Amino acid sequence: MPLFSRRSDNALATEIAQMRAQMAQIVHSADEVNRIADQVTEGAAAQSRSLDDMVSGVNQMAASLKETAGQAESVATSTEELVSSINEMAASTEQVAGNATALATAVSQTAASIQQITASIQSITQAAQEMAASATEVNGAMTEMASSVKGVAEDTETLRGSINETATAIEEMSRSVQGVAANADELASAAEETSSAINEMAASIEEVSATAENLAASVEETSTTIEQMARSIQGVAQNANRINEAAATSATSATQLDRSIRSVAALAKQADETTRRVARDAVEGGSTTEKSIQGMGRVRDAMSQSASVIREMGRRSAEIGSIVDTINLLAERTNLLSLNASIEAARAGEAGRGFAVVAEEIRNLADRSAKATADISAIIKALQEVANEAVASSNEGLRVAEEGTRLAEGGLEALHKILNGVQETSQLMAQISRATEEQLVASQSVVSAVNTTAEQARQATVATAEQAKSAANIVQAVNQMRKISQQVAQAMGEQGRAARDIIKAAQSTMNLAAQVRKATIEQAKSTTQVMQAVELMRRSAANTTRAMSEQATAADQVAKESDRLMRVIAGVTKALNEQSAGANQVTSAVESMRRQADQVAKAMAEQARAGKDMHTATAVITRQIGLISRANREHSTVAGQLLNGLADVRRVADRNAQSAREVRRALADLLAQAQTFTGVMDRLGGNKVK
Amino acid sequence: MPDPVARSEPYILFELAGTSYGIPSRVVQQMEMVEHITPVPNAPPFVEGVVFLRGQVIPAINLRERFGFPKAPYNLRTRLIVVRAAGRTVGFIVDSAREFVPISTETIQPPPEGIAGLSGHYLAGIATLGQRLVLILDVEAVIGQGEAIPTPI
Repeated sequence: MPLFSRRSDNALATEIAQMRAQMAQIVHSADEVNRIADQVTEGAAAQSRSLDDMVSGVNQMAASLKETAGQAESVATSTEELVSSINEMAASTEQVAGNATALATAVSQTAASIQQITASIQSITQAAQEMAASATEVNGAMTEMASSVKGVAEDTETLRGSINETATAIEEMSRSVQGVAANADELASAAEETSSAINEMAASIEEVSATAENLAASVEETSTTIEQMARSIQGVAQNANRINEAAATSATSATQLDRSIRSVAALAKQADETTRRVARDAVEGGSTTEKSIQGMGRVRDAMSQSASVIREMGRRSAEIGSIVDTINLLAERTNLLSLNASIEAARAGEAGRGFAVVAEEIRNLADRSAKATADISAIIKALQEVANEAVASSNEGLRVAEEGTRLAEGGLEALHKILNGVQETSQLMAQISRATEEQLVASQSVVSAVNTTAEQARQATVATAEQAKSAANIVQAVNQMRKISQQVAQAMGEQGRAARDIIKAAQSTMNLAAQVRKATIEQAKSTTQVMQAVELMRRSAANTTRAMSEQATAADQVAKESDRLMRVIAGVTKALNEQSAGANQVTSAVESMRRQADQVAKAMAEQARAGKDMHTATAVITRQIGLISRANREHSTVAGQLLNGLADVRRVADRNAQSAREVRRALADLLAQAQTFTGVMDRLGGNKVK
Repeated sequence: MPDPVARSEPYILFELAGTSYGIPSRVVQQMEMVEHITPVPNAPPFVEGVVFLRGQVIPAINLRERFGFPKAPYNLRTRLIVVRAAGRTVGFIVDSAREFVPISTETIQPPPEGIAGLSGHYLAGIATLGQRLVLILDVEAVIGQGEAIPTPI
């Protein structure tokens, strides 16, 4: 070519040789980059696989958690059944207490039993208060979870902001690339574009590297969380074991309760027999009393008869008295006449002597007669007194007989009352027997509920073991992931170094790399694709934010439910307090039943003790269930966080892979350009040589 | 043995307020049961009234009242002893009079000096009859005090 001098030909040849050497270097570097990109791609694939593993592990764990939650719910349900059975039993016990109140001759020891029941109710109240405390704990955990969810939401918001920044940066880049494409000189602008594309690529690699570091950190965090979860799962397993023990205790208590109820039933039967015997005796006593009333009536009749006979006798003796009076009068007159005769005889002197003797004899006879009548009068008087006494005695006897009849009738009435009381007692005994039957049924259902609880607890234990196993798998996968992400970070570092080498080479070839412009156009296209991808990311981040806010709402609802549960528990506590007050009233009412059935009381005490044990066991179960539920909720939260983190990781990894593909494509283009360039150089050199 | 016989005299014994009195049979006209006494106005308290016997109206003197004893109701044994002394016939109402007894005059002792006064004036002496003490009444003294004894004849 005439345009070039020989010297300048030589200088050109030297420059061409230099360019060629630099070209060779570029090709070499590009190959190296390609190799590293392959490694990155491979790593990304491995990461993706391990992510798949992890996701499936986490899903498995979530399913297992759901299963555990279901089992915990059914445990809770069977605990509720148990509680309702216990309540039923408590109601039945109250019925027995009510019957005992109505039974006037019931047991004093029942009072002590009821006091024991009161103590048991108080311990239930304590348990309810513990439950309330545990509900408060749940509430606190819910609040914590809600705040954690909010923290995640904030993180997501930050992520979205960074994505938006990225998008803005990429848009800027796009504009700059388009400006370069529009304005540059063909070669210079191509080289410049190539150079800037390489710069951008380097920057992108740097970014990817930073993202990989973030990924590593996130993986580290996830792994910590998972370890926490594994520990918590171990705690759950321990709780499940304790539930198993509590269920065994409950089963023993329920068996004791059953036995004690049976002994109560036997005692009630004995009492019933005794009552029947009393009723029989009362009936016999009634008929005997009726007989004695009849005898009393006969006595009364006989008494009144004899009284009338005696009165008749008194009347007759009065008649005799009047006859005796007449005789007495005659005797007196005779005496008087004889005295007058004696006086006349004395007056007659000797002539009257014989007459005087007769008169004296007459007087003597009259005196004897008077004396005899006096005796008769005395006897009759005594007889009349005796008759009066007899009449009085008869009247007294009559009165006594009537009183005896009245008393016997009173006794009969009392016996009727006793009979009524005995029948009432018998009815009450029947009611007690019925109540005891109901208690037996209730205790059977308690036993079955306790057995169900034990079975559920066993299943929960098994599920927890599975959960622990899958958690261990997850930990393993996460460790693997950690290793891979470390490798990725290392590879990215190497990639960055190589990119810097490329930049150095590209800077020296910048003036000559005109056709790199095409690559720039390609890059612009890629940028658009990247922007699309970023838009997708933005949308998914928005979705994530929405989901997080929904999650926060759900957490609030859960907190509200927890509050409601606390209120319900407070209501239960209040009801228990009222129950306690009622039990105290019952205790005072039962104070009067002092004298019977020590054995029943003893049995009731055993029953109460067993019930108390059951209540305690139930409280323990409820507490344990609360712990499990809380742990489950925490696990679910952690699993959700884990899934979110994994989704983030996957997105980042996908982005890495895509960037790696783009780098490879850019490299391929670069290599093609380099070859073309080399061809041009060869042609140029050939022309010069020719 | 005219002597002891001559020295004994038949007496009518009567009872008044638990004490036995005797009056000689010779002053006794007759004895009656107390049947119907007709009260007399303005008579002294010891005069129950008058009785009509064998055609005679005789004042009836309550000896209980006369001797200061409380009055007693009449009964089957109450007697009216009609005596005739100092020319007057009166009836004594006594508790009872059933005996006609001869009392030896030797056994009659004068009343002791200690029982002076009103009752002492009516006693002629005190006789012992076995274990019994019998106050012998001075009939004339009883009648003769004559303060207000109506004298129908």
